[in-house]
Formats: sequence, structure tokens, C-alpha cells
Amino acid sequence: MQEHVQLDQKQINKELLNGVLQMPKWWPGATAVVLVIFIVGLCAFGYMLNKGVGVTGLNRPVYWGFFMVNFVFWIGISHAGIMISAILRLTQAEWRRPVTRAAEVLTVFSLMAALMAAPLVHVGRPWRADLWVFPYDFARGVWINIRSPFIWDPSAVMTYLTASTLFVLVALLPDLAIIRDRSKGFTRVAYSVMCLGWRGTPRQWKLQAVAGILLSALVLPVFVSVHSIVSWDFAVQIGPEAWHSTIFAPYFIIGAIHSGVSAVATVMVLMVWLWGWKNYITPDHLDAIGRLLIIVATTWFFFFFLEWVFALYSLEAPELAMRDLQVFQWPWSGLFVLFLLTAFFIPVPMWLFRNLRRSLWAMFISTILVNVGMWLERFLIIIPGTMRRGHMIFDWGSYHPSLIEILMVAMTFAWVILGMLLFSKVFPLIPLFDIKEAMVGRDEIKVGRKTVPASIRE
Amino acid sequence: MAGEKWGMVIDVDKCIGCQACVVACQAENNIPINTEDLYNQRRAVQWIRIERYWEGEFPDVKARFIPVLCQHCSDAPCEPVCPVFATYHNPEGLNVQVYNRCIGTRFCANNCPYHVRFFNFWEPSWPESLKNQLNPDVTVRSRGIMEKCTFCIQRIRRSTRDAKAEGRGVEDGARELNPACVNACPTDTLFFGDLNDPDSKVARMSAEETGEHGRGYHMLEELGTEPNVLYLKKVDKNAKEASHA
Amino acid sequence: MHDGHSANGHDAASVSRGLLDRHRAAPIARRIAALTAGVLFLLGIAGFVIKLLDKGTSDPSAWGYYAALVSFLLTAAGGAVMVAIATRLAKAHWRRPISRASEMFAVVTLYTFALLIPLLFALPSLSDHRRSLWFFGELNVPGYMPHIMTTLSFFFLALAGLALLWMSALPDLASLRDSSWGLTGLFNRLSNTWQGTSRQWFVQYHRLGILGALYFMMLVTTHFLFSMDFAMALVPGWIDALFPATHAHNSLHAGAALMLVTMFVLRRFGGYGDYIGLDQFWGLGKLMFALSLLWFWFWFSSFIIFWYGAKPNEQAVLELLMVGPYLPIFMAAFILNFLVPLFTMIWNPLRKSVWGPTIIACGVLLGTFFDRVRLYAASWSVAAADDKHTLREVPAAIMPDVADVMMWVGGLAGAVLVYILAARVIPIISVWEQKELLLYRMHKPFHRLAEVLVLGKKD
Repeated sequence: MQEHVQLDQKQINKELLNGVLQMPKWWPGATAVVLVIFIVGLCAFGYMLNKGVGVTGLNRPVYWGFFMVNFVFWIGISHAGIMISAILRLTQAEWRRPVTRAAEVLTVFSLMAALMAAPLVHVGRPWRADLWVFPYDFARGVWINIRSPFIWDPSAVMTYLTASTLFVLVALLPDLAIIRDRSKGFTRVAYSVMCLGWRGTPRQWKLQAVAGILLSALVLPVFVSVHSIVSWDFAVQIGPEAWHSTIFAPYFIIGAIHSGVSAVATVMVLMVWLWGWKNYITPDHLDAIGRLLIIVATTWFFFFFLEWVFALYSLEAPELAMRDLQVFQWPWSGLFVLFLLTAFFIPVPMWLFRNLRRSLWAMFISTILVNVGMWLERFLIIIPGTMRRGHMIFDWGSYHPSLIEILMVAMTFAWVILGMLLFSKVFPLIPLFDIKEAMVGRDEIKVGRKTVPASIRE
Repeated sequence: MAGEKWGMVIDVDKCIGCQACVVACQAENNIPINTEDLYNQRRAVQWIRIERYWEGEFPDVKARFIPVLCQHCSDAPCEPVCPVFATYHNPEGLNVQVYNRCIGTRFCANNCPYHVRFFNFWEPSWPESLKNQLNPDVTVRSRGIMEKCTFCIQRIRRSTRDAKAEGRGVEDGARELNPACVNACPTDTLFFGDLNDPDSKVARMSAEETGEHGRGYHMLEELGTEPNVLYLKKVDKNAKEASHA
Repeated sequence: MHDGHSANGHDAASVSRGLLDRHRAAPIARRIAALTAGVLFLLGIAGFVIKLLDKGTSDPSAWGYYAALVSFLLTAAGGAVMVAIATRLAKAHWRRPISRASEMFAVVTLYTFALLIPLLFALPSLSDHRRSLWFFGELNVPGYMPHIMTTLSFFFLALAGLALLWMSALPDLASLRDSSWGLTGLFNRLSNTWQGTSRQWFVQYHRLGILGALYFMMLVTTHFLFSMDFAMALVPGWIDALFPATHAHNSLHAGAALMLVTMFVLRRFGGYGDYIGLDQFWGLGKLMFALSLLWFWFWFSSFIIFWYGAKPNEQAVLELLMVGPYLPIFMAAFILNFLVPLFTMIWNPLRKSVWGPTIIACGVLLGTFFDRVRLYAASWSVAAADDKHTLREVPAAIMPDVADVMMWVGGLAGAVLVYILAARVIPIISVWEQKELLLYRMHKPFHRLAEVLVLGKKD
């Protein structure tokens, strides 16, 4: 049964602002470490700018490698925020409240990481990558090619980034006002500006709630379109083997939700460990997210199954050659087994047990495993696909990532962690007002000898 | 003069795998030298390549050669995927690459079923002694962009311009029109010309050979890319005898 | 407050009495409906016989419309049961008055299973060397593998549905048994052991959860097998990995629509107006709206791959199923399943009404019908060919003949008849779930507002 901790407003303010108004002991060290990794990655990028894409492991025909894998991976993670905030808000799931902001912030930073991974470091001439999105040849009437999925892609990702940032900002306003009231000097001025004159009048609250609901509803189509379009980057192609499958859009979306929600669960556990917010993130919340994950993971597995069945159904030689590579040839076979274990066969059975769902350690490990598995999933789709096990066996390819590539990939990871850490120092990671709203709207009903949690409905 | 459709016919039966076309292409089109290093990195640039396949079991082994170059597909998969219109179809049926527009997403190369698009991984360089032999009619491509066979568009341009100035049409199969690979081929494997001109050699050959008993086929026909390069398959005498027996 | 909650009785006994009394009454309208459905069903049997004598079973193209009928019933009635399962899983209180009506569609699935059997004779065996899920020729499987597997899957789907219906109705059957109103023997047998002990209730909740999950898995499996073997495999070069999932999604979509129409009928003609209210239409309407948007997404995800890839085999499939001879029917399905819901359901006044979602739902059912016709009539009309890779020749559209129309009318009427008969035995509104709501609901004073509704959610 759910335990009921009724907290008063003072305590909520004090506990949830502990990362902002004070400096947690571990914070400077952790931030320094990721900052160093990030800078090393930037140096690797500079080296590549100077020398050329030759410093990566890419070759012909493996033209898309590590960067694309990580682009897809980060776009996948970014599906956490909207899944948690918008969908769970619209379906009125109470357990979303303490994790909405962390999930949205994760969305924003992982989208930026994705943009770093794909257009920025991926292209041959990064200094001209802006021309991709902002067409340059007005005078001669040359416009961007809207038939290209690479035009749909930045459009969708930018829209998603804008919407997610708005999501974060709208939900931040009341909390910023609380910090403003508790700080002095320059900090106070800064927060006053950021909270846009929030006074907490009924009108302001109403507008804030309406904005939240409207954004939730409007962002849903964007949410679906982003990863669909990312999947079409691959699926519309007829060159590489095994990509040209209609299942890709749903398969990618559900995979994104799988990895994104898992990442949120990881962040939840970290929030308890690092900031000690165990009054807010309780085993009930982990239990709920674990149950959601069982459904998501099973659906994902169904689409995975469909993808495979139809690959075999076609019985086309190139398709079979690519599958053979994925499953039977070392090191791909090892990675494939690892992928299956980590993405599905270890975590899902774990979540079936209520005790494990409610344990911080078990959830931490299982959700980290999911993201290892989902990273491998993208790797195993993209790289063997570009290795072109097609009819032209003269040109079958192979690929090893270079150190430079690995450093740049580490840079994207460092960026997301760094972003989260910096954010947590300036803004509260758990929305204070949402928690307070839950406390007000929460009630209990006695059914026979049992007490069930209840909530007030307008 | 509107309405050329440049095309090629490759008679695989005649190919002896001598690689003369590869070298000629290299020289004509300012392609950097493919060193051993580049081969090992799998980054060699060969606008035309000879694929060699071994057929049969020892001792009855046969080497089969097939020259592969850009097929200049009428329905090219590489064209729609380029976000910046760096690759497009020109009115003469050529699939052309605009180097200045290219930003190097490598999407086109990925979607090319024939693997004939090449990426410049490094800044191109030549030994000092070869600097003066670069072809002034062809751009040297910088790093970070795609390049591919152009059917030696500089030769097409110059010959049609010269012909126009002299008030005549371009002669079919003229050396100044033909791409370097066609001129270099010692066995007459490659033929180049205007497919829209019914009297040209390539048009006549494709009309003959795509009939019921013809040897003509397009590479990876099931993809529906409608290439402008027609292959004539090998005449296999042994296979015929086998079928009679 | 939403009228669904407030209009009905406030204590358990009055809820019980009200619902059971209404169940026992046999309104004349229902008899007339049953009689009409029965007559039309006979017409359908006549149509079937005409078709059989006229065309035999050797020509699949004669049976495309019949296949579409079976597929439509599987899609709509099979999916309707999911309304109860999904909302119960989400612990939504608004499901309570409609969960039984939804589960009752399991009997229609049993009826559909009966309709499937003749279709098995018309489906060619794998020995025509078409591509199949079963790797015929590669593996040592019988040529009738599709027939066997689809039959098994369909059967277990019907079985799971009936088990769910029976288990969910158990407490109500027991109260009918105890109130000794005719058919006592039957109710005795059906609800033999139910005493309503705590242990039994505990088992009941878990049983419903497990049976619901099982039903869903069987539904997905059946759609997978049916859509593969009765449509896709018949067309050379049609390789659409998403199609089975689309088929299953269409089932949820049409199921929600079917439930909306059923709710409307129960409210308007069945005399359950004070149980089924705006709350239910609003909740289910939103669900159907979301599924309509997904309809587009599923369709587009398949379409863009085929259209963009432009491989000859894919273009032939598009020609066959969408832009070719069946274009008008496809457009009708597209408009009714997606465009109409999109442009109407975003409008609050319409979404928050009883008639609005109902009319849109009728459109969705009609759209699903068109969708099934275009898919099945088209794929059954493809003649067997040696070439597995590409459909070389797109056949002309098959027009329904009189027998097809008779079979369609009779087939649908039969489903209605079966449903009415089942509703005669089992209460169409779940009495125990309705009574349970009273436990979880409370009106409380709140600050300066007069009164708020507090709803409990069991963990």
C-alpha cells in the first residue's frame, strides 16, 4: 500500500531547494569531472575540424557510424520528457508529479546532445551545417530539398526542442518566484527577471495551468513525429540492407519510450541518492514507473519480433546476409546477445517482482541495462546496415570506431550530465508547486478495513 | 539541341579487367592518388572500378570482371535524400553533383545501391611532380564533400560547344565527346552516346539487346532505379553446352 | 457533476435492484430487433449458399468480400472487448457501466469463428508456392499451415474472451441465481461456487487481470496471423512489417467506435440512460479520437516507405491497395477514419456530448468496413503467380454481387442477434462493478467551494 507522507509547505521548500540554495558536497567534484570529459571531446572535435572526417573510422560503404548511432540514442532518450509530462498529465497519473521536471530537462539536454552528434560533428563540412537548415541560395532560387528526410529531421527536432524548453520554463515560473523570495542581492535580481513577475495570483495560476495543458496536447504530435522522422532517415532508403521496413517508425518510437522512461527511472534513483529526496520519490513512484516499463518493453519486443519476422519472410539474399552478420558473426553476435539480454531479458523479468520494482538498486541497475541495450539496438541496426551485405559482395564493408569518435561520443554524454548538474544548481529539479498541489488534492477513502489513496476531481 | 540523354553500354563479355579505364578516369578527373594506405582504410576513390569475382572451383576457376560506375539513374535514390540539392538530375539525363553546395551528410552515398559515391575524407594532395598534370577543366574537390562519376561532363561540354561553334552536331562516338574510360578501353567494352538519338550506337545497341534474346540488363533492376547504363551479359559458351547436354 | 455518477442510486441494494429488474424485463423493442436480425441472418445464409453453388471454393477472388466480412467482425467485435480490459487496467471509474457490454462482444467473436470455417476452404494451400510466414518449402511444414494456425489462434481468442466474460459476470450470475428468476438451472451451473468470500474476490481481481492480458495477446496474435495469411501472403511483393500491427490497431479503433454505438443504443433504446452518461461518451470519445490520430500515423508509416522507396514491387502494392482500382474506397476509409474525427473531435462541444462521438463512431465503423473491403477484396483477387517478388499485373476492382451483399447484411445481423441473445442471459451492465463504485466515491466539503468529488484508486 502507498505510504502517506503529508509534508507541510515549509518543509517542502527547505528540502527541495537544498541543491539550489546550498552547495551539495559532491557537486563541484562531479561537475569538474564531466566538464573535463566534455572539453576533451571538444578538443577531439577541433582536431577533426582541422584534419577532416578521415580521423574517424568511417569508410566506404560505412558512411554513417558512431555519430548516427548516438544521434538516434539521444533522440530516444529525449522522448522521456514528453512521455512523462504530457501523456501522464493528460491521463492524470498522480505519480508523475515529482519527476516531470527532471524528465523535461533531460529531454532538453539530450536533444542538444543529439544535435551535437548528428548535424554538427557528423557532416563533412560542419562550418556549413547551418546552410542545411537555413537555405542560402535565395538569389538563384535554390531552396532546401524538402523531399529529404534530413530536412524533416531538423524541423521536427527544433520544434521539439522549442516546445520542451517552453514546457520547462512554464513549469518553472512559480518555483523561481519562491527562490527569488529566498535570495538576496544579484541572485534576487536574476530570479526576479527569470520568473517574469510571478506573484501567484489566481489569474496567473490559471494561465499557467492552461499553458501546461495546451502544451501537453500540442506537443504530442511533435513527440510522435520526431522519432518517426528519425526512423525514416533510415527506412526510406533502399541502399543499405534491412532498413527499408515499414515497422521502423513505431519500432523506433516505442524503443525511444523504452529507453527514455528507463533513463527517467535512473535519474529518479540518482535524485534520491544525491539529494536525499526520499520523501518525494518513494518506492511507490518506482513501482509505478516499473509497471509502465513492463508494458512499454513488451510492446517494444513485439515490434522487434515483427521486424525480424518480416526480414525473414522476405527471404531476399541481402536481407538474410545482413541478419546472418548480426546474429552469427563475431563480434556482432556477441553484441546481439548482449543487446537482447540488456534491453529485455534481464530487466523485464526483474520488474515483474514487486520487491525489485520498489528497490532503488534494482531499478538503477535494470534501467541502466535498458539503456545499454537500447544503445546496442541502434548500433546493431545502423552499422551492419551500412556494411552493405548486398548483392555486390565485392564491396562489403567493415567498421571500427576510432578513438576520436569515441571521445566525441563521450562528449555528448558529458554534455547531458553537465547540463543536468548545472540546471540542478540553478533550478529545483523537483517542481515544488506540483508537489504542493498533489498534497492539497490528495485524500483517502476507507474501503472496508483498507484505506485507498484518492484524489479530488474537478 | 534539347533532349539529350547520355547513356552508356558496357559489354561485360569483352572486359578483360585491365583497369585502363580506372587509370584514365583518375587522370582525367583530378582524383587524388589512391595510396596503399587509402585502400587499407577503404577510402580509395574510384569513379569507375572493376569488380572481380571468382567463379567455379579449382582448377576450373574463372575470373569475371564487371566495370561499375555511376549508373546515372533516371529515378536515382541519391537525389531526393540530399537536404541541400547538392545532387540533382540535369536536363541531359545526368546525375550531377554540385560540389559547392555539398555539406557532406553522406546521405546520398548511403542510399546508392551501387556504392559509386565517394566521400573526401582528407584534403586531396598530389606530389609536387604531378601538380602540373591536373586537368584545368575539372574542379579539385576539397575534403568533406561527395563526388562521383560525371560521365566526364567537361568533355561533353567542350565537344558540344566546339561543335556548335563550328555549326555542326556532335559526332556519335567521337573521341572528344567520349568519357576518358571509354577512350582508354582497349577492347571496346564501353560505349557512350545519346540514348535519345535513335541513330547513335548506344541507342541501337540498347534497342537490340533489351529484346527477348538480347543480353542487356540493368544492374539491380528490381530496385526500379532505371539506370542509364546498360550491361550486356557475358556469353558463356560452357553454360550453353551444359544446357544442351 | 457528470450525470453518469450522480443519477443512479446511492446505496448498493437499490443499484442491484434497479439493474436486475431492468435485466429481467423483456422490452418488445428488443424482441423485434432480435426477430429482424434473425430474418436477415437467414438471408445471409441464403447468400452464402448462392455463392457456394455459383462459384464453389476453388476461386479465391469470389470470396474476397466474405473474407472482408470475417476480418471486419474480428476487427470491430474483437477490439470492443479491449475497451473493458484497457480501462480496467487503468482503473478508470467511468468504465464501470460499460465494461460488461464490452466483454459481451466475446460471443460475437465466437460467432466470427464459426464464419471463419467456410473461409478456410476458399484459402489456397501453400503449395501454390507463394511467399508465406511458414517458410513452406524451406522447412518441412504442411501446406495447410495458415489454415491450422489461424483456426487455433481464433479459437483461443474466442475462448479467452468467453472466459473473461464468464468470470467477470460471475458475481452477477450468482445474484441472478439467488434471486430465482427463471433459468435458475443455467445460472446455478454458471455460478456454482461463487459465494462472494474475500478470498473469491481477491482471486476475481487477479483472474480478470490475467484473462485480460491473455485476451489482448490472443487478439494481437490472431490479427497477426489473419492479416498475414489471409491478406498479405496472397499478394506477391507485399512485405509490410507494420501491417499486422496496423490491423490490430484498427481493431482497437473500431472496437472503441463499436462500443460508442453500443452505448448509445443502450442509453437511447435499452433504458440504461441513468447509468450510461456523458462521462462514458467523453472518456471513450477521447480514446477513439486518439486512436483516429494513430490511424493516420500507422497508415502513413507504411505508405511513406513504399512511396519513397519506389521499388517496383512496392509501387505495385500501392497501386493494388490504395491508388489503383480501389482508390474511391480507400479515400472513403481515409476520410471517415481520420479526417472526419480529426476535424470534428477537436471541437469541445462536440466531444463533450452524447450524440457527437456516436455519429463519428458510426463513421469510423463505416470507414473500417471500407478499409477491410479494399484490403481483402483486393488481395483475394490476385491470381496465383510464379513470381514471388513483384505483382506484375494489378487486377481490376472486384464488385460485390448480390450474394456478397446478402452475406454482408446477414453476417452483421447474425452478430447483432448473437449479442442480443447473450444480453438476455447475462446482465448487460456489470452490477458488481457499479456497486463497487459506491465504495470508492465520496463527496466532501473543500475550502470555500461547496463540495468536491473524491475518487479513490486502488493500488
